[in-house]
Amino acid sequence: VDEDEVSIFQEEREKERRRRRRDGERDKKRRENGRRKASKDVGEGEEKYQTKREKRERGKTKRSKNDREAKRRETYKEEPVKVKNNEEEDDKEKELRPEDLSPEELEKLKEAVDERKKLIQSLRGKPWPMKKKLVALRESQEFVEKYEGALGKGKGRKLYAYKVMMTKKWMKFQRDLENFKTACIPWEMKIKEIESHFGSSVASYFIFLRWMYGINMILFGLTFGLVMVPEALMGRPYGSIPRKTVPRAEEASAMDFAVLWDCGGYAQYSVLFYGYYNNQRAIGWLKFRMPLSYFLVGVGTVAYSYMVVIRTMARNANESGVGDDNSFNFSWKTFTSWDYLIGNPETADNKFASITTSFKEAILEEQESRKDDNIHLTRFLRVLANFLVLCCLAGSGYLIYFVVRRSQKFALDGLENHTWWERNEVNMVMSLLGMFCPMLFDVISTLENYHPRVALQWQLGRIFALFLGNLYTFIIALMDEINLKREEEMIVKFNITMWETSLYNGTEPENSTAPPISIHPADVPRGPCWETMVGQEFVRLIISDTMTTYITLLIGDFIRAVLVRFLNYCWCWDLEAGFPSYSEFDVSGNVLGLIFNQGMIWMGAFYAPCLPALNVLRLHVSMYLQCWSVMCCNVPQERVFKASGSNNFYMAMLLVILFLSTLPAIYTIVTIPPSFDCGPFSGKKRMFDVIHETLESDFPAWFGKVFSYASNPGLVLPFILLMVLAIYYLQSTSKSYKEANVELKKKLQAQTHHSSREQQTQNKILPQITFIIVLSIAEPDKS
Amino acid sequence: MVSPAIALAFLPLLLTLIIRYRYYFVLFYRAVLVRIWRDCVTGLSREERAYQYVLVHATPGDPDSILEAFDVWCSKVEYISNIGPKKGKILDRLLMEQSPLTVLELGAHCGYSTVRIARALPLGARLYSVEMDQRNAAIAEKIIRLAGFDDDTVELIVNPSDEVIPRLRADYGLERLDFVFMDHWKKSYCPDLQLLEGSGLLGKGSMIVADNVLFPGAPKFLRHIRKSGLYEWKVHRATLEYSKGIRDGMAELVYQGIK
Repeated sequence: VDEDEVSIFQEEREKERRRRRRDGERDKKRRENGRRKASKDVGEGEEKYQTKREKRERGKTKRSKNDREAKRRETYKEEPVKVKNNEEEDDKEKELRPEDLSPEELEKLKEAVDERKKLIQSLRGKPWPMKKKLVALRESQEFVEKYEGALGKGKGRKLYAYKVMMTKKWMKFQRDLENFKTACIPWEMKIKEIESHFGSSVASYFIFLRWMYGINMILFGLTFGLVMVPEALMGRPYGSIPRKTVPRAEEASAMDFAVLWDCGGYAQYSVLFYGYYNNQRAIGWLKFRMPLSYFLVGVGTVAYSYMVVIRTMARNANESGVGDDNSFNFSWKTFTSWDYLIGNPETADNKFASITTSFKEAILEEQESRKDDNIHLTRFLRVLANFLVLCCLAGSGYLIYFVVRRSQKFALDGLENHTWWERNEVNMVMSLLGMFCPMLFDVISTLENYHPRVALQWQLGRIFALFLGNLYTFIIALMDEINLKREEEMIVKFNITMWETSLYNGTEPENSTAPPISIHPADVPRGPCWETMVGQEFVRLIISDTMTTYITLLIGDFIRAVLVRFLNYCWCWDLEAGFPSYSEFDVSGNVLGLIFNQGMIWMGAFYAPCLPALNVLRLHVSMYLQCWSVMCCNVPQERVFKASGSNNFYMAMLLVILFLSTLPAIYTIVTIPPSFDCGPFSGKKRMFDVIHETLESDFPAWFGKVFSYASNPGLVLPFILLMVLAIYYLQSTSKSYKEANVELKKKLQAQTHHSSREQQTQNKILPQITFIIVLSIAEPDKS
Repeated sequence: MVSPAIALAFLPLLLTLIIRYRYYFVLFYRAVLVRIWRDCVTGLSREERAYQYVLVHATPGDPDSILEAFDVWCSKVEYISNIGPKKGKILDRLLMEQSPLTVLELGAHCGYSTVRIARALPLGARLYSVEMDQRNAAIAEKIIRLAGFDDDTVELIVNPSDEVIPRLRADYGLERLDFVFMDHWKKSYCPDLQLLEGSGLLGKGSMIVADNVLFPGAPKFLRHIRKSGLYEWKVHRATLEYSKGIRDGMAELVYQGIK
């Protein structure tokens, strides 16, 4: 991973660059226009300039009156001459009007114009100094502009003028369209502004955020359009069946804000959660296959995410794979380390400082790679640091486990008996640990004395481990809870059959086929519905995580900035430059936060269809909030890191998280039978049975047969084998390509080396040859 | 009632703060707590204790040994914010390069920097040292005499700097200052610099060195020199005297005048 400028989303950057270049050209043109105008005004300008200068001289030197008068006379003399000159020039131009020209002259003019045009095209290759080139270019452009339009006569001329006008209009239109396109990219201007202040690494975070937002929009569209809206419009209305009704015991508090905030009450019995959906196979006049749609959307969101992430990764790899990491380290640094998107003096200073320090570090590294002193101490310190980090990880894991067990105890007691703190302990502790442990890691990592880039990677790895550990502890605890709920469900199921029989027994025993007794759905006893519980847990986690992020932002950044800014007037040391200072924007921490947040969404989206919507909201708000907070209360990083190859690093992390978060979801879907009285899959043995059902009833019989043959292990296994072989083949070919690349590079280097050596030898040989020649010339004279 | 688990979750934050700002805690302990305790125990002021130590451990007439004794006392025993050996070396180098004839020092404190500057001056140069506090000035006087510098080399002026600077030309017959060293109250860096500019004592090439511009820090001063455009300036980055982890800087300004 080298520090050269490779941005996260190369494509966007590329577009941007193109736009910039175009802007630059436009500017050039504008400037040239200006110049042209200026050259028209040159006559006047010169005069003005001269008079001014004279005035100044007059003001400075206090000469005698006579002298001054003489001067004035001189200037007066000069002015009429100038005017005459101008008139003469005008006359010349009049003479050159094409209407008055003879055909031969016209011909000549045409040739001249053509020549000028050729010159403009070939100017770049001319071995002239730049000044001459510029002058020639300007002159010939003026010439062409002046006479080209005038060449044609009558109709042709008009047509030509029309053409020129149209091309100009077309160009303007294209420019406007381009501007419009950039204006259409959401938050583009905001991100550019941040980029100019903070460098590309901070901007890369916001681009990543925007990308995430796009993905979440699509996930949201899928779940909203194919699951939530159909159920709300076409499904049975609220209160028609037990799973769609708030139970009698909870009815009193179902609309309380505290209950709603905990995703209970009316929020729980709505389309937001799994349990509300009915297992009716087709709903509404459209015969919408609700359970199938639910299942396919669940699978589709994950599949889509995989596809997008992998495609982006591949594209990034293609673009960044060309760079050469090791050789020409210093020339890379010299020529590519400036971040041209910086537009803020302070950031530029910081960037400058960071480049110089990186040079110093690189030189030191080069020196140290030859000699390493006290390797044992550094090794010991590194081991110690890792040990401390491990302790910290273990501690945080245990704390979360402890808290989750406690919360289960609370849940058994009944949540109403406990305070808000105790009810939200798990989420609070997870968020707090996720916030504070990275700081501790950061402090510990100063022990290790790594190069900052390596240190950053270690830091990222550690935070990753922490988040992952926390998340998996949480999931394991959740699994325990699911098992508890399922046991409870068994009991409830038994009780319900008892209850039903007692109901029937209580009425008319002789007529068992009588219409069932109508009971209000709120009174029907029901199972615990573990799926909704899982969904609720995730929603609560996301909400508390979001809240913590925002509150940290407000306290850690905003309040701190306000205090530093205004207490600085009356404090005994410099708060701004010294100890508390303003906060820096923590790119890696924020990116990781985003990634894990997304992981939670992927994990929980199956059981709580509202999660993508929630996430879109969160990302939207945090886009504005973070943009604001960055511009308002952060200072540019002291060591401005480039958003270098870390982009793909982030992407790889996202992929890992995606995999790890789909794992538990798939596990629960495949192994645990769905609840018997809630959700779209109730009554089935497994959730994926919905596919079999569809195949059997909605498709023709032969299709089902074909499918059953295709899913036969005898066919699937060879197919998988084939896929593995194909992957292996592709892998090996890509490896050989890479090797060939390296070989070519080596050859190229060897060639340049060889040629330079040849030159050297030539340089050595040449004097010798001349010396010999001189000798041979001199000797005959002697003899 | 916040549950203990949530309180435990704040432990990493606490640890982080302690580890990250350990130098500041150490400084607080050494510069404030130890000082108060010693003041109560001995009944002497901090400067007097330092003077006693120097008197016992240094050779009279030898500036180097006096400076060394000061350094030992400040790093081993107690803490006084002298310029310190590391930044002192930079100061020495600047003085050697410049070899100024008239030097103004603002804030003599107990004479460490005065001795340091006087040691590096060329023959015939004169150092005006300004100290506001009477007791500190008395100690500084003793230290200077102990180091063997007489009235011709070092003149100690006991007055606040903002009163002294406007009267320098009239009272001491100064025409031009070649070198100014600032190490007094950080808040008066900026007004004093403006006074110096106004007094017309600075000529082209006059050098002004200001200590502690980053910690405790003189932001207004830095802002002023950045904006005024009268100086060529740079900040020598170093650590705070007698402390390893706190970053500090010494500003070096060369007066260019109005172009």
